[in-house]
Amino acid sequence: MAMKPSARPRSEAPAAKRLKPAVVPGSQGAEDSSFDRLVYERVRLGIMSALAVREELTFSELKALFDVSDGNLSAHARKLEEARYVSCLKTFDGRRPKSVYRLTAAGRAALNRYLDHVEAVIKATRGA
Amino acid sequence: MRPNTIALDSHAAATLRYIRASMEAAATLTVPGSAGIAMGLVGLVAALLTQTPALRPHWLGVWLCAAVLAAGVGGLVMARQAALQGFTFFGAPVRKLLLCLSPGLFAGAVLTLVLWHSGDLRDIPGTWLLLYGCALVAASAPTTRAVAVLGALFGALAVPAYLLSQSLQLITLGAGFGALHLAFGIFIGLRAHGHET
Repeated sequence: MAMKPSARPRSEAPAAKRLKPAVVPGSQGAEDSSFDRLVYERVRLGIMSALAVREELTFSELKALFDVSDGNLSAHARKLEEARYVSCLKTFDGRRPKSVYRLTAAGRAALNRYLDHVEAVIKATRGA
Repeated sequence: MRPNTIALDSHAAATLRYIRASMEAAATLTVPGSAGIAMGLVGLVAALLTQTPALRPHWLGVWLCAAVLAAGVGGLVMARQAALQGFTFFGAPVRKLLLCLSPGLFAGAVLTLVLWHSGDLRDIPGTWLLLYGCALVAASAPTTRAVAVLGALFGALAVPAYLLSQSLQLITLGAGFGALHLAFGIFIGLRAHGHET
């Protein structure tokens, strides 16, 4: 059974607060620093990861996946939309409003950069 | 090695695990409530038909026809849902679902043939409920936890089905393949409806 990803990890969160950003060769530019602030957050990272394997996901599907409130999810999704990492198509399913999210090419590239960054951190720290 | 280096390393690994978990959860197939409702209605009709004096002696044939019909209807609804979710028929989630369901259903088919051949029809209802329950529990891996609960309920229903008299056994078949499917479909449908935004 696929485990529901927890948006708030119990053990890692305090450690994450204590840690300073990783210094990895080739990832110190201004673009990476703003990228980290946007995608580093757990729910936003989860949204982008989920959209990387599914062509599109509705608001309700994302809400069920990450077990977050409407307001919380809206805020995170809006930030990703403003960065043009995801696109949102608002339609009506009968009388009910329906928001469908997709990962943009820029979002996919950003996720790949983030994955490269995390892998580089692991390599750098394990090689140390 | 410095202590903070180890923490950073484990944090990065935890981030990768989170990304993987998010991807796996997003790739989970959603079981539509309509599939359960459709299969449940077929089951209820079969249960009612086998309660009529004319068709009661032919309960095995009626239930086998109902099984084929329910599998067809359920399969079509599931395929439509999978397509709506953007999954292809030969994609990993659909393939996993079929692989998980197959052993239990295959065992049920073989045992039905064996029991029918030996004239031991009394054990067929319990065997169906038990193996279908096992198949559902296995199928919960690429789907949702609710499917495992449904499977467990089918398994539990198998116990009285083995012990009761034949007329009551047919009621347990109706309770399982009819009522349980229907209740599950309504539950899933209501839950999905509640999530819509």
